[in-house]
Amino acid sequence: MAASISGLLKPWTPRVFLVRWSRYNPYYLEPEVSKEAYSRPETELSAEEKEQRELKALRPIKAATSGVSSSVFDDPVISKFINMMMEHGNKVLAREIMTQTLENIKKKQVEKYHKASEGEREAIECNPYAIFHQALENCKPVVGLASIQKGGKYYQVPIPLTDNRRRFLAMKWMITECRDNKHRRTHMYEKLSQELLAAFGKEGNVMKKKYELHKMAEANRAYAHYRWW
Amino acid sequence: MATQGGIVFQEKVSRLLRGQNGKPVLKPNRALVLKDAVANRKPKKGEASCITEMSVLMACWKQNNFVDTLCSNEINSFYMCVEKAQADAKNKAGQSNIQGGRLPPKQATALLKRYPNLCKEI
Repeated sequence: MAASISGLLKPWTPRVFLVRWSRYNPYYLEPEVSKEAYSRPETELSAEEKEQRELKALRPIKAATSGVSSSVFDDPVISKFINMMMEHGNKVLAREIMTQTLENIKKKQVEKYHKASEGEREAIECNPYAIFHQALENCKPVVGLASIQKGGKYYQVPIPLTDNRRRFLAMKWMITECRDNKHRRTHMYEKLSQELLAAFGKEGNVMKKKYELHKMAEANRAYAHYRWW
Repeated sequence: MATQGGIVFQEKVSRLLRGQNGKPVLKPNRALVLKDAVANRKPKKGEASCITEMSVLMACWKQNNFVDTLCSNEINSFYMCVEKAQADAKNKAGQSNIQGGRLPPKQATALLKRYPNLCKEI
């Protein structure tokens, strides 16, 4: 296909349509999978969104991956977590573990709900998706450390992190913690559900890791000026 | 016009290589041919952004023993500062590309690679 700098390209229709590849020409646009984006009437859209729609009618669009769907149950965060858990391309196993984890969380919470007294029942969260999202939010670090070279030595400098990087770190810590630091005879879904419920209650090893990162950043706050961006 | 100027230039170069009184002025160790690439510019080193917000956040952490719920205001202001700094950086990069009257080095190299210097007649 022609060159990569999309500013130097003229509008063109591809002669061959790429299906399920991961490397596309930057001219291709991302697909919009959710049904709500298309059900909005013309009047609700602002000028930019109308322009976007017209652009999408003219430009070629990438094929949607098989991991996304237009159903109401499709959650990009959960899909990303499943992909990160997956090993050797075994998506079936990773999805199975995820569904078992969510089921396990629900079971534990419903058990707690029925054992609790009337006053405490409202405070107990039973929706496993809400628990997953809240636990992940609690695990996300606010600042990170970068290794910056100055005067021949390397210093750990506190830097602001992008949202994607924070989400990635939270998920990575969760998965490595469950894989390495637990008893080997427990199932992964059991380990994950324990760790997620602990993170939801702001305890557990992943929260400890986040606090340690924050403490390191606070200790190195003098080097914050070594950043140049 | 270019060809006339080209012939004069070639004669000047050959005179420099042959040299006056038998001593050549130029002794090139590589062929006198233009490269199909342009040297990259060093990006200007900026300053660290959002340092005040970060120091306020860290002071709050120190006071409250790193509990995040008590420092939520400082955290939100830090995030907003970071977003603004990123938006500013993006706008600046866009503007500096258009101004200056010249192509940025990466785009110039891409263009030269597509229309390279002809070194063979085939």
